[in-house]
Amino acid sequence: MAGHAGRSAGTATSAPRVSTEPLAVRCVLIGLALAFLFLFLIAPVVMVFSQALGKGVAAYLAAVTDPEAMAALRLTLIVAAIVVPINLIFGLAAAWAITKFRFPGKNLLITLIDLPFAISPVVSGLIFVLLFGARGLAGPWLEAAGWKVIFAVPGIVISTLFVTAPFIARELIPLMQAQGAEEEEAAMILGASGWQTFWRVTLPKIKWGLLYGVILCNARAMGEFGAVSVVSGHIRGITNTLPLHVEILYNEYNFTGAFAVSSLLALLALVTLIAKSLVEWRSNHNPPDRREKR
Amino acid sequence: MSIQVQNVVKRFGSFSALHDVSLEIPEGKLVALLGPSGSGKTTLLRVIAGLEAHDGGTVLFDGRNAAYRHPRDRRVGFVFQHYALFQHSTVFENIAFGLRVRPRAQRPSENEIQRRVQEMLDLVQLGGLADRYPTQLSGGQRQRVALARALAIEPRILLLDEPFGALDAKVREELRRWLRRLHEQMEITTVLVTHDQEEALEVADQVVIMNRGRIEQVGTPEEVYDSPVNPFVYNFLGAVNIFRGRLADGKLQVGGLELDAPEHSGRAEEPAFGCVRPHDLVVSRDGHGMPVLVKNIHVIGPWVRLELRRPDTGEPLEAELPKESYRDLGVSVDEMVFVTPRKFRVFLEGQTG
Amino acid sequence: MGARPKRILPGFGLSLGFTLLYLSLLVLIPLSGLVLKTMTLSWDQFLDTVTAPRVLAAYRLSFLAAAAAATINAVFGLLVAWVLVRYPFPGRALVDGLVDLPFALPTAVGGLALTAVYAGNGWMGRFLEAHGLKVVFTPLGIIAALTFIGLPFVVRTVQPVLQELSSEVEEAAATLGATRWQTLIRITLPGVAPAVLTGFALAFARALGEYGSVIFIAGNMPMQTEITPLLIMSKLEQFDYAGATAIAVVMLAASFLLLLTINLIQWRSQRHQTTP
Repeated sequence: MAGHAGRSAGTATSAPRVSTEPLAVRCVLIGLALAFLFLFLIAPVVMVFSQALGKGVAAYLAAVTDPEAMAALRLTLIVAAIVVPINLIFGLAAAWAITKFRFPGKNLLITLIDLPFAISPVVSGLIFVLLFGARGLAGPWLEAAGWKVIFAVPGIVISTLFVTAPFIARELIPLMQAQGAEEEEAAMILGASGWQTFWRVTLPKIKWGLLYGVILCNARAMGEFGAVSVVSGHIRGITNTLPLHVEILYNEYNFTGAFAVSSLLALLALVTLIAKSLVEWRSNHNPPDRREKR
Repeated sequence: MSIQVQNVVKRFGSFSALHDVSLEIPEGKLVALLGPSGSGKTTLLRVIAGLEAHDGGTVLFDGRNAAYRHPRDRRVGFVFQHYALFQHSTVFENIAFGLRVRPRAQRPSENEIQRRVQEMLDLVQLGGLADRYPTQLSGGQRQRVALARALAIEPRILLLDEPFGALDAKVREELRRWLRRLHEQMEITTVLVTHDQEEALEVADQVVIMNRGRIEQVGTPEEVYDSPVNPFVYNFLGAVNIFRGRLADGKLQVGGLELDAPEHSGRAEEPAFGCVRPHDLVVSRDGHGMPVLVKNIHVIGPWVRLELRRPDTGEPLEAELPKESYRDLGVSVDEMVFVTPRKFRVFLEGQTG
Repeated sequence: MGARPKRILPGFGLSLGFTLLYLSLLVLIPLSGLVLKTMTLSWDQFLDTVTAPRVLAAYRLSFLAAAAAATINAVFGLLVAWVLVRYPFPGRALVDGLVDLPFALPTAVGGLALTAVYAGNGWMGRFLEAHGLKVVFTPLGIIAALTFIGLPFVVRTVQPVLQELSSEVEEAAATLGATRWQTLIRITLPGVAPAVLTGFALAFARALGEYGSVIFIAGNMPMQTEITPLLIMSKLEQFDYAGATAIAVVMLAASFLLLLTINLIQWRSQRHQTTP
C-alpha cells in the first residue's frame, strides 16, 4: 500500500509520458542505431582520411597535386559546371509544366523523369556506347563528322546528364505542387507578365528547394562512377574524372594515392552534407518563410 | 463597370461545373454568389476574372466581350480565399506589386508608389504594418492586405472568393460591416462568393443563389429570404418546416390545417407540401391549428426554440419565438400546443431544389 | 471564342516542350537504341546469353545480395528513423545530417573505404576474421557495400511519416487502454509500414544496379562474387556489345518492374491517406 501511495504521489507531479519508452530501452535503441551508423558510415569515412594521411602529409600532398590527379579534378569540375546548369533548366521547366497545368499523361511524364534513378549506372553508360560508339547507331555518322563522343569528354557529360537528370526536378515537383498556383494567379491578375511572375513570385518561393536540388545534383555529377566508367575509356589525363582516377590508382596498388584522391571526394561529400543541412535549416527556420504569426 | 454573364458553360473533364449560367451584375453594386460547396460559385467568379477559361457562352464587361482580354489586362481586383499573399514579400511590397510590374512607360514613380501604398494601407487601417511579413499578421490583417493589394491597381471590378471564410466569427462580423462601408465609399462593382447565408444577406445589394452549377434565384436579400422560388432556396436560406399533404382547389390539407395556395388553384388533386420558417409558426394553447407535442425547449439569448412533434405522423417541427411570447405562453416539455403558419409557401411534390 | 487562351499562366508550351524534347533526346531515344540493339540478336542467341550459367549466377548473387542489404536497411533504417524522430540525444542533428552521406559520397570512395575497413588487416576485418568471418571478396562484402549505399532510403522515407504520425494518436490508444507494446504493434507500425516498404523497394532497386561501391570489395570472381552490372562491364571490355546489351535488357526490365512496384505502393498509401 505504501508503495502504491508513493507511486501515485509521484505521478501526481509528473505523469509518465505514454508515448515513449523507459530510459533503458531508449538508451539501448539509440546505442544500436549509432553502432549501425558507425559501422557503415563513420568508420569508412574516417578510414579514408587515416589511409590517405597514413604515409605522412608530404606523401599526401604529392599524391593530391600529382598532374594526373589535377587533370582529373579539372575534368570533374568541368563536367559538373556543364551538367548542373542544364539539369537546373530542365528541372525548372519540368516542374513548371507538371505543377502549374493540367494535361493528360502527367503521371507517365513523372515516371519518365524518375527513370534514370531506376536504371543501373552501368546500363546508363551502355546505352550511350550503343548510340554513339564506333559500332553504335550514330557512330559512323559521328565519325564522318569528326566528332568523338565515346571515350571522350562529350560522352562523360552526356552520361552524367542522364544519371543526374531527375535530381532537381524531383526536388521541385512536390514543393511546387504543395505551393499551388494561387500566388502566381494573383500576380497575373495584378498585371505581371509571365517572366515577372516567375522571377518575383515563383523563384523566391522555391529558392531553397532549388538550391537543395542543385547540391544533390552536383554531388552526384562529381561522384558518378559506373556510367562514366563505361563511356570514358579511362584515358589518363584526358577522360579521367576523380572517381575513375581513384580506381586506376587502386588497381595499380598505389593505395596512398587512391585514398588521397578519395579524401578529396570525401571532403566534397562533407561539404555537400553541410551545405544541405544549412539549406534545410534555412528553409525550415528562416524568416520570413515560415515565421509563426505572433 | 457592369458585368454580363451569358450562357456560360464550364466543364472539368466529365464534371459540369456551370450549366448555361446567365447573370447581370449592374454597375456599382455588391453582389453575393451564395451556394453550398460544389455549386459552381467559385468557378463562376474565376471565369469572370479570366482565371478559368469557359467552354461556352460569353462574359461581357460594359457590353464588350472580355474573353479576348488576358486577366492581367482586365483590371480586375481579385481576393483569393486563402489570400495568396506573397509570403517572401513585406506587406508594403505585396501592395506595391501591381504597380511595380507595369510596363516602364505606365509605371508610377517610386514616390508615387510610396504614396499610393500608404493610401491603401490607411484605407484598410494597417498603417503601421508596412514592414511586416504576411506570416506575422493575424487572419483578419492578411485579409485586409489582400484587399489593399487588389485595390491598389484601381480595379474596375472587385472579386472576392470566400473573403471571410477562414476567420473566426467575431472578426468576420467586423470585417463584413467594414467591407460594406468600404464598398459604399468606393462604389466599385463587387462580386463576392460565400457559403454563409447570413453574410450574403447582410452585405449584398443582390444575392445570387447557386446550386449544382445553376442559378436558382436572383434578388435582393429581402426578396430571396421572404419569397424563395423553390424548396432549395427555402432550405438554404434558413431552417424550414415541411408540411406534407394533398392539394385541391388551391388549398393544401395538412393534418387539420388548411393552407391557401391560390397560385395552384385549378389543378387536380395532387400531393404537395408547405414550407414554413420556424419564426413564422404561431404557437398557441387555444385549440386552433395543428396539435403538436413539445419535446424540448432551448433558450438562445433573446429567442426560444421549441422542438415539436406531430402526434399523427411523428414528424419533427421547429418553432422560434421571442422570450416574452414564450413566457406568456407558459409551456413545458411534453405538453400539447397548437401551431398555425403565419406565412408559408406551397410547392408541388417533385418540385424539389 | 476561338482566340480565347485555354490556360491562364504562361509558359505551358515552352516548359512542356522543352521537358519532352530533353527527355526524348536524353532518355527515350538512347533507351530505344538499347532495344534496337537487342533486336539484332536472334531469340535463341538472346536466351543463350541471358541464361548462361555465369550470368545466372550473377543474377542470383545480385538479387540475393540486394535483398539482404535492403532487408538490413529496412530493419536498421526504421530503427535509425525512430531514434532520430522520437528520442532527443546529444548530437542528434549531426547524426541526422550524416545519414545522407551515402548520397553525397561518390560510390567508388564508399566501396574503397569499406574494403579497407573490412579487409583482413582493417579495423573491423581483423576482428571479424579472428572469429572466422571473412567479409572482403565474399558475398558478405557485397552485402556490406549495398547496405552502405541503400542506407538513407529507408531512413528518409520513414522519417517524415513518423514525424507526421502524431503522438496524439498513440496517446489516444493509451487512453483506450492499450499497452505501449500494443500501441506500437497495432497503431504505429501499420502507420509506417508503407513507408518502410517504399524505402525497402528503393534501396533494393538501387542495390540491384549498383556498381561503383561493389567492385572493390567483391573480388569479382566469376560464379562467386561477380554481380550483374560487372558482367555487363566485362562483356563490354571484350567488345561483346550484343551480350552486354542482352543482359542490360534483363536488368532494365527488372528496373521497370521495381519502379512500377514503388509507384504502386506510393499510390496505394496516398489513397489510404486521402480517403479518411
